[in-house]
Formats: sequence, C-alpha cells, structure tokens
Amino acid sequence: MAMEDDMFRNLKEKPVTIQFPYEHVEPVEGVRAKVSWDIDKCIGCRLCVTICPGNAIQLVGRGRQAEIKYNVGRCILCGECVDVCPTKAIYATKEFEIVFNNRRGMITHFRRKKRKRTS
Amino acid sequence: MTFEIPFGPQHPALEEPINFMFEIEEERVVNVKPRLGYVHRGIEKIAENRNYQQLVYLSERICGICSFAHALCYSQVVEELLDLKIPERAKFIRTIVAEMERIQNHYLWLGLTAKEMGFETLFMYAWRDRETIIEMLDMISGKRVNYGMSTIGGVRRDIPEPMIKRMEESLNHLEARAEYYTKVCTKDPSILKRTVGIGILRPREARALCAVGPTARASGIPRDVRADEPYAAYGEIPFKVVTYRGCDVASRMYVRIDEIKESIKIIRYALKNMPEGPIRVKAPMRVPEGEAISRVEAPRGENLHFLKSNGTDKPERWKIRAPTLANLLSLCRMLMGVNLADIPVVIAGIDPCIACAERIALIDAKTKKLKVWEGKDLWRYANEWYRKRYGL
Amino acid sequence: MVSEEIWALIQIFLFPGFFFLFFLAFFTEWVDRKIVAKFQNRYGPLHVGPKGVLQPIADFIKLLSKEDITPRMADKVPFNLMPVLLLSLAITPLFCIPIVGSNALVSFEGDLIVIMFIMSLIAVLVFIGGWASTNRFSTIGSIRAGLQLFAYEIPMNLAMIGPAIAAGSLSISKIVDWQIHGFWNLFIQPVGFAVLTISLMAHLQRVPFDIPEAESEIVSGWIVEFSGKKLALIRLAKDFEFVLASALIVSLFLGGPYGPWYISPIIYLAKFFICVFILSNLRAAFARYRIDHLLAGAWKYLTPLALLQIFLIKVLGV
Ligand code: SF4
Ligand code: SF4
Repeated sequence: MAMEDDMFRNLKEKPVTIQFPYEHVEPVEGVRAKVSWDIDKCIGCRLCVTICPGNAIQLVGRGRQAEIKYNVGRCILCGECVDVCPTKAIYATKEFEIVFNNRRGMITHFRRKKRKRTS
Repeated sequence: MTFEIPFGPQHPALEEPINFMFEIEEERVVNVKPRLGYVHRGIEKIAENRNYQQLVYLSERICGICSFAHALCYSQVVEELLDLKIPERAKFIRTIVAEMERIQNHYLWLGLTAKEMGFETLFMYAWRDRETIIEMLDMISGKRVNYGMSTIGGVRRDIPEPMIKRMEESLNHLEARAEYYTKVCTKDPSILKRTVGIGILRPREARALCAVGPTARASGIPRDVRADEPYAAYGEIPFKVVTYRGCDVASRMYVRIDEIKESIKIIRYALKNMPEGPIRVKAPMRVPEGEAISRVEAPRGENLHFLKSNGTDKPERWKIRAPTLANLLSLCRMLMGVNLADIPVVIAGIDPCIACAERIALIDAKTKKLKVWEGKDLWRYANEWYRKRYGL
Repeated sequence: MVSEEIWALIQIFLFPGFFFLFFLAFFTEWVDRKIVAKFQNRYGPLHVGPKGVLQPIADFIKLLSKEDITPRMADKVPFNLMPVLLLSLAITPLFCIPIVGSNALVSFEGDLIVIMFIMSLIAVLVFIGGWASTNRFSTIGSIRAGLQLFAYEIPMNLAMIGPAIAAGSLSISKIVDWQIHGFWNLFIQPVGFAVLTISLMAHLQRVPFDIPEAESEIVSGWIVEFSGKKLALIRLAKDFEFVLASALIVSLFLGGPYGPWYISPIIYLAKFFICVFILSNLRAAFARYRIDHLLAGAWKYLTPLALLQIFLIKVLGV
C-alpha cells in the first residue's frame, strides 16, 4: 500500500512507454551503430581487420586495390575500426535498426569504382 | 511426503538456465542440488585465439549487465602485465562509469526481485527509473549496454562539460527515486512480509562460504574490493561501505538501495574533482611473458580475472571468476528450510547471473588432477556408464 | 401471451442475459487491464479496436484456435470437463443479480445461499482441475487453491450474510430493494464491506492472493496444463467471476440499480465500474502474500471482524 501516492499521480500522467515501431527516438550524438566505408580512401593496411573483435571485416585483394567485405551479422558495433583507420576511410552511421531475413543480405561488399588506369 | 521439484533450467522466475532440484516437504525445502552447465559458452577457450585488443570486447560480453566491471578487470590485468601507467582522468572516468553501472544493476535487481514477489507495479517503476541511468550511459558511451568504454591503457571516450550538467539533473532524479524506494521497501507491509527473516545467511556462514558483494555486506561483513584494495580512482574518493546486519533478503534489498545513494555521491564527487588531461595511452600489441590477477567490485560482488601471457599477442590462459560462482554455495545454504513460495525471492536475492558463472572443469577427487576430456572420451564414458547401470 | 414470452427470451439472451454478460465480461477485463496499466505508467492493450477494447475478445478467439493438448498422464474426464463446468458455474449466479430495476431474472428466497454454494463449488472445481492434470506444479497449485478456500470462505460468507440479516431476507433482489428504501449497506456495515472485498480478492485469485497460480513460483499453478480451448474457457470463466464479484459488492453494499428501467442499468454500471476500479487498484498495490500469511491473516483478522460485524448488526439493530 505504500505506493498508492505514486500510483495515483501516474493515473494523470502520460505513460512513459515508447511505442517502438510507430514512435522513434532520435539516436544520441555519437551512438555506436553500423559502420560504413569510403572505399576510395582505403589503402589496404589491414589494421581494421586485425582489431575487429567480431572478425566482421574481410579484405579482398591487396594494397590500394583492396576491397572490403563487411558482415553486419558479426559486427558488435564497437567502433574500434573507425578509431583505428589511418586514412579515415571508415565512418560511423546512425543506423541501429539492423534486421535481415537472409544471411547474404548482411554482407556488404564495398567496391572501388572502376577507374581507367593511366600508366 | 517429500517430493522433488525441478526449478529450471527453463522457469519463468529465473531469467537464466540453471537447474535446482528441490526436495520439498510440505512446502519446505529440505535439500537443494544446483546443476550448472546449460549455458557454457567457452569464453576462456575463445580467448586463446584472439589478441588482447579484441578480448576487451569479449570480456564485456561475459555478462550483459555488469559488462563494464569485466572489461575494467580485464584491462587492469593487461595493464599490470604491460606495466602501463594510465592517465588520472581515465581512472576517474572508469570510476564514474563503474558506479553508473552499479546504479543501473541495482535498479534492475530491485525490479526483478519485486517481480519475484509478485509486485508488478514496483517492477515497472524500478525499470522505468533505470531508463534514466541507461540514457545517461548511452549519452556518454554511445551504447545502452556493453558500453565499450574501457580499453587497455585508458578509456575510449571523454566526458565533456555539457554532459556533466545533464548528468547532474539525472542524478538528482535518481537520488529522489532511491529515497522513495527506501520508503516503500521499509513501509509496505506486503514487501516486509515477503523479505524480512527470509533466506538467512549468518555472518559466520557467510565468511565460511566466501560470500561476496552485497550478499556478504547484508550479513554484516564489510567486504568490498573498492575499499579493501582500491583500484581506479577509489583510493581518492571518500565513500562508505554499506552494511546491514539483518542477514535476510530485506537487508540485501536495503544494502542495494543504499549503495545506489552512495554511488550517486561517488559520481558527484568524481565529476567535481576530475583532473584534466589525456584519457588514453597507447598500448603495445604484444604482452611480455608473465602472470597477473586483478580484482574489481562488480555490482554483484567481487570479480576476479587471472591472465597468463606467453610473449605473443594472444594470451595463454585467461581465468574468470564471476561473483555468482562465489555466491552459489551461500545460496544453497540460504535455501535450506525456506518455504517453496520464497525460493524465487531468495534466489533473486543474490542477484544471480548464471551465464557469468559457467565454467567447467572436471576434477578427479582422488588424484586431484584436472582432466581434459575430448568428445571421444565423453562418448566412451557415457557408453560405459550405461553398460554398468543397465547391464547391457 | 406470446409477446411476453418473446420479452422473456430477449431478457435471457440479449439484455441483461447472455449477450450483455459476455460483453460485460470482456469489457471488464479490458477496463481492469487498462487501469492497472495506467497505475503502472504503461499503455495496456492498445491496438485491437479503439484503444484496444477488443483485445480480450481477440485473445479469446486466438486461444480458441490454438492446439488443445491433453497430457497423457492426466485424468481425462475431469480434466476435459472442468473448464466447461467452471464457465457454466461462473455464469449461473449472474442471473440472480438485479441489473435492470430491483428484480433479477431469476429471483427466489435463498438465492444468496445458492451463490455462496456455487462460489465454493468453483474453488473445489479449481482443485479438481489442478489435481487431474497431474503436473507437479498444478498439484501444488491445486493444494494451495484448496487451502485458500479454507482461509477466505468463512469470512466471505459471513460478510455476505450481514446485509441479509439487516434486510431480513436471503434474496438478493429483496436486499437491493431494502437498500433502495433505506440506507446503503456500505454506510451501516463498513467492516463487512472491507472483509468482503478482501476475501473476494482471494476468491478471484488476484494479485496479493494469486497464490494458487503464482506465476514466478509455480508457473501459473493449476492452470499450467490447460491449453487451447480449455484455457480460453477458463479465462472467460475468470472474467465472469470478476464480474460476479463486483456485481455482488454492488448489490449487497452499494444499493444496486434504482430508478426507472432506462436509468437503472446506467447507475448500476457506474457503481459496478467503481468496484472494478477498487479491485484493480488493490491488484496493483501489493506484493503476493504467502499461503501461510493468508491463512493466518484470514483466521486472525478477517473472521473475527466479520463476526464482529454480525454481532453489531444483531445487538445494535442497525
Ligand atoms: S565496429 Fe567493431 S565489430 Fe564492427 S566492424 Fe568495426 S571493429 Fe569490427
Ligand atoms: S584500416 Fe582503413 S585503410 Fe586500413 S584496410 Fe581498414 S579501411 Fe582500409
């Protein structure tokens, strides 16, 4: 019975529940969410691959031709790769609703734009 | 009439898979047999294939609720091996986040215990107020759980000035709510009926069974790593170790609510006296050969990490002792003689986190040797056992 | 002659008979859920129908369409029969309660006794249902239900007899009639009112006394093996019991309906939902008691208080 006062106060107030699929909360500044690549800046140094705790990053190819395969299903959204990349090729997004209905959809392949080589 | 009642591994009162076999005589427990092993995740084995930087995040995932305590403990043990001096500001931020996590955990515990008692309203309120502290953690670290704040050599994010202002408001709110819950939990007749004198653990037993954390403190033993062996910035912050002498579930409840208030004071002090400076030093990838242990007072009790390194970038052995494992024996003692209806409340009383406690090692009682079994051995053993048992 | 029969049929099947009672039961469940949710700072049912009014009906239909399992070890006949019996027993007393005017559909001298009898039967049925499903948890739940019956039955019946003594009749309609011409029993027998409310909470197995189906201790106790249609019927029966409890309080203590036929149901429903509000508030305000607390409390406080109330009525003649 000791909570009656609070209960009657709440009778007048609006419920605090956020009805999620219909209502959204703006993610805070600096939220740790999905990461993305600006692949043309990548120099293929493998630092992000070494540091990634979930083994979510795979490097295809070598050096400046390297391309990135990023598996969101394995990513634990720690943001270490963003901190470690020397050329700032990786940036954090604010996308935190990450749902897929097949495994293949989780893998994003960041491809380089085909450039004519001028040798 | 005695009959056996299984409790778990799936049971609505237990959020986690553990099995208790209770022998019940007229709604009274006469014997308890706990059985672990349903959520063994092999974290210690995984650790042997990961480098030290990656392991920070693995350690965070030992427990979802006291994740920072584990990450902090792991970072400290590696720093000790590396002989790394971390900056003062990082120490203060670690303290702040650790205390915030304690507040969060204790509110969660209050709600869960209320739910075990069938008090839904208190459960809803406690979790609603927990949202305040989670939002604060979200603001500081960018995540609501598994904050990823601690790292080897410091912390990853700073607490800038504008955040401190907002934190102070939230802290005031939380303190008012903690006062309110003290009032509710000391006045409400139905809560008192369900908690006072239930699940007794006498101080002598608590000492003998090595109880840790709030469980020990509710039996009047001032056992707290923060005070006994200060880590992070606890040495510079004055605080009081909360103890109660009731030895029952009610005292465990009061210890936790008072700890919320104490944590709020610690955070206020730390925010005010936080020195300026860097928050992180660079740590090398390779760790020299050696062994170290580190202890941290997690919200649930003492947390112990042991690390053996072999000079490469991967550890040789990493041993974790989570607080629930230490409290399991005391729990069995508490459960003796309680009413069937009180079992969930008593179990919730130690704030169990089964997934943290799951470590398996077979020790041969006669030779005291550690056996490591492979699948083949297990298969052979099972076959032999059945042959012997049923004469096949 | 014919029109009279049609009128009687309308009364039995439409208003205030089956149709009305079904909707009242579902609506009461919705109100109860909404009020408790409000107390707990949540929304409660929200999506089916306007503000979720149709949620209880949707739940009912969903349960009807689910798989119905009878455990192999269960005692088949009582196990299958129990939900149907429970539902019919829960509906029957509602016909003795006046909703339009001060005359119920079925009213005779002594229907109060019949209601008491049926309410005890419900508890016995719960015991049988739990026992027949031969599950460890439901066995414990049914034993607890039986024990709980010993605790609340006597104070509840004593508190229900109080208004009857005051009105000098064992018929609910007459008690209501007596109150319309005199005072509400609430004002002359406040102790009886409190005792009846508390023991009805125990009868309904609602939160402070939801001991036989304690969700966190014995996994919803005696209900645990019922599924599909049986569970749907049991839940509907529980709604009816809730309606019956509130209706009893209104009729015995709050004066029931009065006024011309088009006003009286509205007044009745207003009082009815005040009772629902009180019961919902009590549900939100407590932690669950233990069975020994309930037994001790009922015999130490409730029964003497109920006796005291009857004593006061007899001696003071109020
Ligand atoms: S955020 Fe963490 S887990 Fe995800 S890809 Fe980057 S380093 Fe790997
Ligand atoms: S760390 Fe940056 S530059 Fe290096 S491989 Fe990864 S994305 Fe490319």
